[in-house]
Amino acid sequence: MKLKKISESIEPAVTVEPKAATKRAPGLSRRDFLRNTGVIGGSAALGSLLAPAMVQRAEAAAESQAQGAVKQVKTICTHCSVGCGIIAEVRSGVWEGQEPAFDHPFNLGAHCAKGASVREHGHGERRLKYPTKLVDGKWKRVSWDEAINEIGDRLLTIRKESSPDSVYWLGSAKHNNEQAYLFRKLAAMWGTNNVDHQARICHSTTVAGVANTWGYGAMTNSYNDIHNSKSILLIGSNPAEAHPVALQHIFKAKEENNAPIVVIDPRFTRTAAHANHFLRIRPGTDVPIIWGMLWHIFQNNWQDETFIRQRVYGMDEVKAEVAKWTPDEVERVTGVPEQQVFAATKVMADNRPGTFIWCMGGTQHTIGNNNTRAYCIFQLALGNMGVSGGGANIFRGHDNVQGATDLGVLANTLPGYYGLAPGSWGHWSRVWDLDLDWVKGRFDDGSYEKKGDKAVPVMNTKGIPVSRWIDGVLEDKANIAQKDNIRAMIFWGHAPNSQTRGPEMKQAMEKLDLLVVVDPYPTLSAVMHDRKEGVYLLPACTQFETYGSVTASNRSLQWRDKVIDPLFESLPDHTIMYKLAKKLGIADQLCKHIQVNNDEPLLEDITREFNRGMWTIGYTGQSPERLKLQQQHWGTFDYTSLAAEGGPCDGEYYGLPWPCWGNPEMKHPGTPNLYDGSKPVAKGGLTFRARFGVERNGVNLLAEGFYSKGSEIKDGYPEFTDKLLKKLGWWKDLTPEEQQAAEGRNWKTDLSGGIQRVAIRRGCAPFGNAKARAVVWTFPDPVPIHREPLYTSRRDLVSKYPTYEDRKSFWRLPTRYGSIQATDYSKDFPIVLTSGRLVEYEGGGDESRSNPWLAELQQHMYAEINPRDANNVGIRDGDTIWLETPEGKVKVQAMVTRRVAPGVAFMPFHFGGVFEGRDLRDKYPKGADPYVLGEAANTAFTYGYDSVTQMQETKCSLCRIQKA
Amino acid sequence: MARMKFYCDAERCIECNGCVTACKNENEVPWGVNRRRVVTIKDGERGERSLSVACMHCSDAPCAAVCPVDCFYTTKEGVVLHDKDICIGCGYCFYACPFGAPQFPEDGAFASRGKMDKCTFCAGGPEETGSADEFRKYGRNRLAEGKLPLCAEMCATKALLAGDANVIADIYRQRVVNRAASSLAHGVELQRQKFRATPERERTRTRGSEG
Amino acid sequence: MRHWWVWVWLCLGATLFPPVHAAGPSTDKVLNPGAELWNEVRGRQAAPATTQVQGRDSQVLVNEWGEHFRDYRRQRFVRYSGYLLAGVVSLLLLYHLLHGGLEVTESGRKVLRFELTERIVHWLLAGVFLLLTVTGVVLAFGRFVVLPWSGPEVFAVIASASKEGHNLFGPLFIVALLWFFVLFVGRNLPRLVDIYWLIRAGGMLGGGHPAAGFFNGGEKIWFWILTIGGLAVSTSGVVLDFPALVEGRNPLVLALVVHGIAAVVLIAASFGHMYLGTLGVKGSLEGMKSGLVDEAWAHAHHVLWYEELNRKAQAESSAREQGQ
Repeated sequence: MKLKKISESIEPAVTVEPKAATKRAPGLSRRDFLRNTGVIGGSAALGSLLAPAMVQRAEAAAESQAQGAVKQVKTICTHCSVGCGIIAEVRSGVWEGQEPAFDHPFNLGAHCAKGASVREHGHGERRLKYPTKLVDGKWKRVSWDEAINEIGDRLLTIRKESSPDSVYWLGSAKHNNEQAYLFRKLAAMWGTNNVDHQARICHSTTVAGVANTWGYGAMTNSYNDIHNSKSILLIGSNPAEAHPVALQHIFKAKEENNAPIVVIDPRFTRTAAHANHFLRIRPGTDVPIIWGMLWHIFQNNWQDETFIRQRVYGMDEVKAEVAKWTPDEVERVTGVPEQQVFAATKVMADNRPGTFIWCMGGTQHTIGNNNTRAYCIFQLALGNMGVSGGGANIFRGHDNVQGATDLGVLANTLPGYYGLAPGSWGHWSRVWDLDLDWVKGRFDDGSYEKKGDKAVPVMNTKGIPVSRWIDGVLEDKANIAQKDNIRAMIFWGHAPNSQTRGPEMKQAMEKLDLLVVVDPYPTLSAVMHDRKEGVYLLPACTQFETYGSVTASNRSLQWRDKVIDPLFESLPDHTIMYKLAKKLGIADQLCKHIQVNNDEPLLEDITREFNRGMWTIGYTGQSPERLKLQQQHWGTFDYTSLAAEGGPCDGEYYGLPWPCWGNPEMKHPGTPNLYDGSKPVAKGGLTFRARFGVERNGVNLLAEGFYSKGSEIKDGYPEFTDKLLKKLGWWKDLTPEEQQAAEGRNWKTDLSGGIQRVAIRRGCAPFGNAKARAVVWTFPDPVPIHREPLYTSRRDLVSKYPTYEDRKSFWRLPTRYGSIQATDYSKDFPIVLTSGRLVEYEGGGDESRSNPWLAELQQHMYAEINPRDANNVGIRDGDTIWLETPEGKVKVQAMVTRRVAPGVAFMPFHFGGVFEGRDLRDKYPKGADPYVLGEAANTAFTYGYDSVTQMQETKCSLCRIQKA
Repeated sequence: MARMKFYCDAERCIECNGCVTACKNENEVPWGVNRRRVVTIKDGERGERSLSVACMHCSDAPCAAVCPVDCFYTTKEGVVLHDKDICIGCGYCFYACPFGAPQFPEDGAFASRGKMDKCTFCAGGPEETGSADEFRKYGRNRLAEGKLPLCAEMCATKALLAGDANVIADIYRQRVVNRAASSLAHGVELQRQKFRATPERERTRTRGSEG
Repeated sequence: MRHWWVWVWLCLGATLFPPVHAAGPSTDKVLNPGAELWNEVRGRQAAPATTQVQGRDSQVLVNEWGEHFRDYRRQRFVRYSGYLLAGVVSLLLLYHLLHGGLEVTESGRKVLRFELTERIVHWLLAGVFLLLTVTGVVLAFGRFVVLPWSGPEVFAVIASASKEGHNLFGPLFIVALLWFFVLFVGRNLPRLVDIYWLIRAGGMLGGGHPAAGFFNGGEKIWFWILTIGGLAVSTSGVVLDFPALVEGRNPLVLALVVHGIAAVVLIAASFGHMYLGTLGVKGSLEGMKSGLVDEAWAHAHHVLWYEELNRKAQAESSAREQGQ
């Protein structure tokens, strides 16, 4: 018999009052809350909080609690990209219990602190409860219609006065795939490329670096595939805190394969505590340490020559660069002695296949794209790519950051990495069944840049990335490559404290005409500015209150079921999008082939729509029906291979990891490990993508002597087009209908999927079979090189490893490099500042700091300081300190620890709600302040952006520390 | 009869605190009371290890020995439980417990502590099994539902094991066999070894090259 | 068998014995890593442990004192203090049966021995002391003495009331004790005659009453036992009653040990005092009730005080005479 979890404590509305974090938080659950509400009929305070429907439901819940049956719902954790399965127990619409999903192939029921406490989101006492706007500096409750109307009118005015580009659509990695897609489409219908999301500031350099090396910008293998690794290298990655369940898989390899673990990090992280080799590098010296390791590889001929010959272009150029990184120079730059580098390199060379894991420690740099490419080259040199147990296992951050990236919530691409080229818009207009000219007409009719002499239409111009939106607001209009400044920001699931340059962000927020926050929580966006009006907070529900697909880091799509109905007055994101689109007059186009019920677009129809267009990365085979079937039978999938053994999904890989080629009827099983030639493409095998042409400077870019199993072409080949099919004599394999659709198209734009089907039936990868390129000639540094951070303490290295020169217009904005590095800040700011994650919190932390079970475990914002630095300025553990950078300052607690090296300080970035020492608790809407507030690390973090993707620099800055 | 035990594998515990929040979630333990906690030694230094601790359900429980009102009892599964109706909140169990398992909702003047609260191995308490009273006072009774404590069931790395002592001992024994070496030994090797070896001589041996 | 011990050993001790082939090139020169870890766990090395959970001693992994406390409480405190109290009671009983109480033929003339305030303070102190003794004894021994008779439900009520009563009225004892001390310390300063009195054991060994002042040597010892013991129970009691004053749990354990031992000593001594004040020496109780004692009683037990009283009376009367 199941338990009836009924709490008798009658402690009504008081619990929604703000309380200081240090005080005892109420032990009252949302269930009690509902129940009590029902029982007592709602106090005055509650009556205003809850919609009548809510109270009725609460009453119903209370009444039927005794006899109501418990329903088990399968869903997916909304915290990180591991994608852990969750079994929610719901009785009468109340989320009562959480059971471990022992048969879920990713986590076997395991959870970290966040995953084990997600049930709280279904109670959400600190949530934003109804639409709210700022009037005369006070929060005022408004109705949904009022809010949407007012926001819509303001947006249309801005559109008329300035241009569509003056509205910034900031999406979210917290959306499910369908919402992310709809959001990108909404921005396109609105007529702007000023749309972006957190991927910009988490793994954009990975996506750019990796995609430009071998084709796709994603984790190549999977968490589970680490079971097959013989060695594991982690750089700039701390999965023990950021992806704890990943450690389950890593430990399996460690214990069963005796796989040595190498951790390269400036901090002795909790992951490093379990490592066999720990190399403590100076922050920002990723390229030198990797080149230093490659130096030993080349020196000892440990590289995989066959692999390089067959599948890699440009390794010789890399060798020339690596030769400069002698052990002495590596030690001089990184601080790691030769013996340690050698030992770590040797274990990686001795134990193959080895996997290579990186995270934001590598990506968030001005040379982030160089770092990620260096990592790729390391794996290519050892021949660790395209094999089970090897690969570049890039752990993504948010639960659906992979999906939101894939679905193009980015300023530089449409869904599926099609880019913004005219052909891309043509392709998507066909998928949307819209007139391309109408779409084009939605954009500003001017032009912001020139290609040669030709003016590039705005729709083909990259937008402003989210990392730089503040410059889009504050920069002089004359310096921005768009018609006007950004005048309205729509934060649709984004925490501003995840972005650097806090003081300027505050200014930017205050300069805006309109600030809209759509989120389950008010977030720091609601309070960090001193605006008096023009702020709207719209309560979105969490992903547990809606359903849809979500893409884990390993490219697996999982179907999330709805656990409970939206709480309070919150609405699902896609419903809010539709309401707004309706107001803006673009709803019919937005949902032309999507059924809409009561303002809620049918999510399955959205899935089917992107299935029809996402040919590039094989998001085409994952129909809602297939995903739902897999979800119902997730227990039939193998823990290591992720393949279903028997059952209705026999032979499929869990989550149909993309590319899942062709249409759903083709039943492609998904691709568990990218570029793995040991399987036929039809069974999940792959080659490197032919993305960069077939020849460069007389050198063949296609694979030589390598092809995937069962390929009828026994050598490299370019990507498939109608012409190639005809040339090969395979055109007749297409049905007449397919021939008609495929004429003049290629594997990416053939909406029938015929070209892909035929290529795969012949054992070929639709995207060709080429070499990975170690030299990305389209990037500022074709061969990755080291460049000192903008704010560096090593002035002696600046002349040898200078940063880039300032750029006038880069993603529409002037971007500074050399002009900052030219100033020597190291005298006044002697300590290197870096940042990272805590296991209890996630992202900006508004959600997790509002969860009492998590908040209790991290009550104070702090900075880690080495005892040496602490002693030098007379700071003891627990003291309050001012940490000041050249651009900002924060007041935090000192944690004196050897976790950081002397001369390095570390701050976690999840805190918010205190700004430069000022507590903002009373500025939150009543009852919606998180339990724990703290200074945001990024208030102090400084300028610096990647030279390709505008990724922000959050890992190297300079600071000084004083007792407060 | 099976004897229930917890066991935390220090080689696997990564201090993710999943067990802590799982416990909060399952038993709705209020802020300030933590039936389970993760303790880290040598935090931030080589040799850093963490252990998740809660009531260990001792066979000869010190808490029960010192309790002035004898409110503890051991179930037939070996779970040490207590009766909150009898507990007077004197705090002796907390003094005697080797693990600091007993928790008190208050720490106020005149030694007012409220009733002691501690890990129940998710086995409820003396109230009627599955009743609202049992849940309110002691939390869920998963054992009665044929389930094990949620903290262990949800452990991210399967470091925390719970169940029949013989079974978990077997699981752990298997792990030790699988581990050619604990990473602690690796760690020590790394700490102590001066890497005298030069690259040419290749004297740095690794586990992989031996096996 | 102490099972928790085994489990911690299993948890951590397994790292002590890595399989033989795991030995790295230099492990033979290395200290046993497990021992180092174990020392850390037991908190024997300087580096403290940490935890994200806030709470009293939450960062202590293994409470080294726990086992000592259990051992002290069950094996020593309850046993030996039980022996002591039972022994004192038996001795007094035995003495009474053999000797009976001391009785002095009353003269019928009364003299004032204790002022009203003195009596009030005495009885206040005595009352609080008795209350604390009863509640304290319930907490210390009730489980073994009361519980088997009453059953857990009834005992829970008694014990809970005892705990609350003990904690609430404890501070009153300190007030009464201080007041009492101020009132009586002057008459309890040791004098040479007290030693003679003590050597003669107050006459219990025969040979008549040795001379004594206002308080005899025995009473003075009781006074000082009460003062010192009272100080000990009070200080430790304050710590126990207001745990926020100290950090961690070890000061509380220490306070509890001091409190228990001091209290048992006080109780044992108070048994003697109570016996002598009631059955042991007839007439004493009357002195504390009404403040008046019979002259014969005064002469018998406190001859020096009686003589002084007489001298004073004579001096007063002569002064009166002179004045008239």
